[in-house]
Amino acid sequence: MLSSAGGEKNRGFIIGFYRRVGLSGTVAITLGLGFLLVPLLPGEFPVIVAVEILILGLFAMSFNLIYGYMGQVSFGHAAFFGLGAYGTALLFRAFQAATGEIGYLDFFLSLSIAIPVSAIGALVVGFFCVRLTGIYFALLTLAFGELLFYVVFSWYGFTGGDDGIQGLLPPPFFRNAVNYYYFTLAVVTIAVAFLWRITQSPFGYSLRMLRENQQRAAFLGINVRLCMLMNFMIAGTFAGIAGALWGPFQRSVSPVLLGWMESGIAVFMTLIGGAGFFAGPMVGSVIYTALNAYVTRFTVYWPLTIGIIILVLVLFVPGGVLSVVDARIAAYRHRRQPNADLLKVSADRQESSQ
Amino acid sequence: MPTDIGSVLIQLFSGLSRAMMLFLLSSGLSLIFGVMNILNFAHATLWLVGGYLTYTLFQLFSNTFGDNALFIAPAIIIATGAMFVLGWALERFVVRRMYQREVPEQLLLTFALILIFGDLIKLIWGVQNRRIFLPIEPVEVFDSYINPYFFVIIAAGCGVAAGLWWFLHRTRYGKIVRAAVYSREMVSALGIRIPTIYAGVFGLGVGIAAFSAGVFLPIVPIGLGLDMDLIVQCFAVVVIGGFGSILGTFVASIIVGIVYSFSIFIWPGGALAVIFLILVAVLIWRPWGLFGTEMRY
Repeated sequence: MLSSAGGEKNRGFIIGFYRRVGLSGTVAITLGLGFLLVPLLPGEFPVIVAVEILILGLFAMSFNLIYGYMGQVSFGHAAFFGLGAYGTALLFRAFQAATGEIGYLDFFLSLSIAIPVSAIGALVVGFFCVRLTGIYFALLTLAFGELLFYVVFSWYGFTGGDDGIQGLLPPPFFRNAVNYYYFTLAVVTIAVAFLWRITQSPFGYSLRMLRENQQRAAFLGINVRLCMLMNFMIAGTFAGIAGALWGPFQRSVSPVLLGWMESGIAVFMTLIGGAGFFAGPMVGSVIYTALNAYVTRFTVYWPLTIGIIILVLVLFVPGGVLSVVDARIAAYRHRRQPNADLLKVSADRQESSQ
Repeated sequence: MPTDIGSVLIQLFSGLSRAMMLFLLSSGLSLIFGVMNILNFAHATLWLVGGYLTYTLFQLFSNTFGDNALFIAPAIIIATGAMFVLGWALERFVVRRMYQREVPEQLLLTFALILIFGDLIKLIWGVQNRRIFLPIEPVEVFDSYINPYFFVIIAAGCGVAAGLWWFLHRTRYGKIVRAAVYSREMVSALGIRIPTIYAGVFGLGVGIAAFSAGVFLPIVPIGLGLDMDLIVQCFAVVVIGGFGSILGTFVASIIVGIVYSFSIFIWPGGALAVIFLILVAVLIWRPWGLFGTEMRY
């Protein structure tokens, strides 16, 4: 503990707390409290934006399992987001056709079908992709993503083609935006807790090792391909869960959800927030989605505005927003207690080297 | 499948002309990636800017000097030159800052360029609706038949391919560019100013893209959104052919163009799925492409 004098006590508590939970923990707790309070804001619009932030944030976090932890860029991650969304939507529509209106059990069933659908999809795609690394991994995931996109896009009989599937009206309780928001918050929180557990497990540390040096990992007895495949499948499944939530939220799904632009969104959110941090993609989602939603309200030239913001971010904030915050905090701490930092440095920086 | 020879020929020529457009667009992409290791997602958007520029110039000439289809030639030449300068400036002031960064960050930058240029197109040429297709004056040289224009396109594509090959293999600058693909450190150690080469190659790639957009204006209406479809097809072409190989890009363009125009018969709407199936197969079987070498990973 740093504090000794009375005036310093509060600050000491904050710093001690920060030391215990790390930057991602602090961000997660702040975001979590913020998310709980969103419905207090006037109007329905903030709630709708917040649902989008949560869903896309989970999608981006699942992507970061591949990028930030395993060190490969997937440019077709939206394929699994879309598979989950379509799996849910198709079962949803089947239940609707059978009973007229969807019941609560049917609703949860059609949401959970996304898990096996996206997991199997990711297993098949991953089986081929994990044989490659670097730019070829990125291109093969892009190719698979576009392949699935065009299949969904042109298979009118099954997926509805480029019209997508409309009229996914959830059961009465979830039609209220605030109720659906809290439901989404609960699902995303549980999913994020699972993701955190995975990244802290021995498996999660094997992933970091694959990122640093695949050859060395193989020498140490890690089955590189199996490890990559498992991670690809896990990441795809969580993307599918995010996708499942998307359909009932938007009341429709469309092939665009599988396209490379959607995959790009996950990449960009991750980079904006900071790929080196567990909470980075969620922070990126808050920034990107909120900007998107609010800039659209003020100007018709929102792509131009967002393009310039991204340009400035990528040129002047390399490593994402969180890495800048992290560096600032480290500098501040160093100013206060240079020597304590020398001792603590390895423990504190552990997370930022994730 | 069509059975009569006439429709087969039409598909063949439309496929070949499509192949030429893909080749012109992808060769710039491949060149830029080969020399600078930058995957330029904004390439097709710059292609679109070049197309709109050609369109405006053509309209301008027609309004001042009277209607004449041949005005498209000076319009294309001026637009190509202007886009070369724009490409040069982009490399000089924006892209150059990104060489030390990781691939995703470079993609993010080029994605920002897509948004910016896309919106600028909307600001200058389009109205509120992003998906609007500008009505482009058809060039009525070959009155009822548009087919003869296919030959112009195929000739233009082959001409540029030959010119590019000649430039890369027979001129001093071309040889420097090819050397830079293999080892930029060595080239730089020999006293050649690498930054100038980079800016020139970027400008050249963008210029070729603008040229192809201009050549295609009479048969393909351009509009926002087209760039998004084209860029992934260009990636497909570049990967199937092999990065940095002009010959590979040429052959892959022809494969993709022909396969596309014939699979429309079998599975309309799913033709692009066939292209990406080929891409997946090539990436699994030979990740470095048909004509590439297993050099960069």
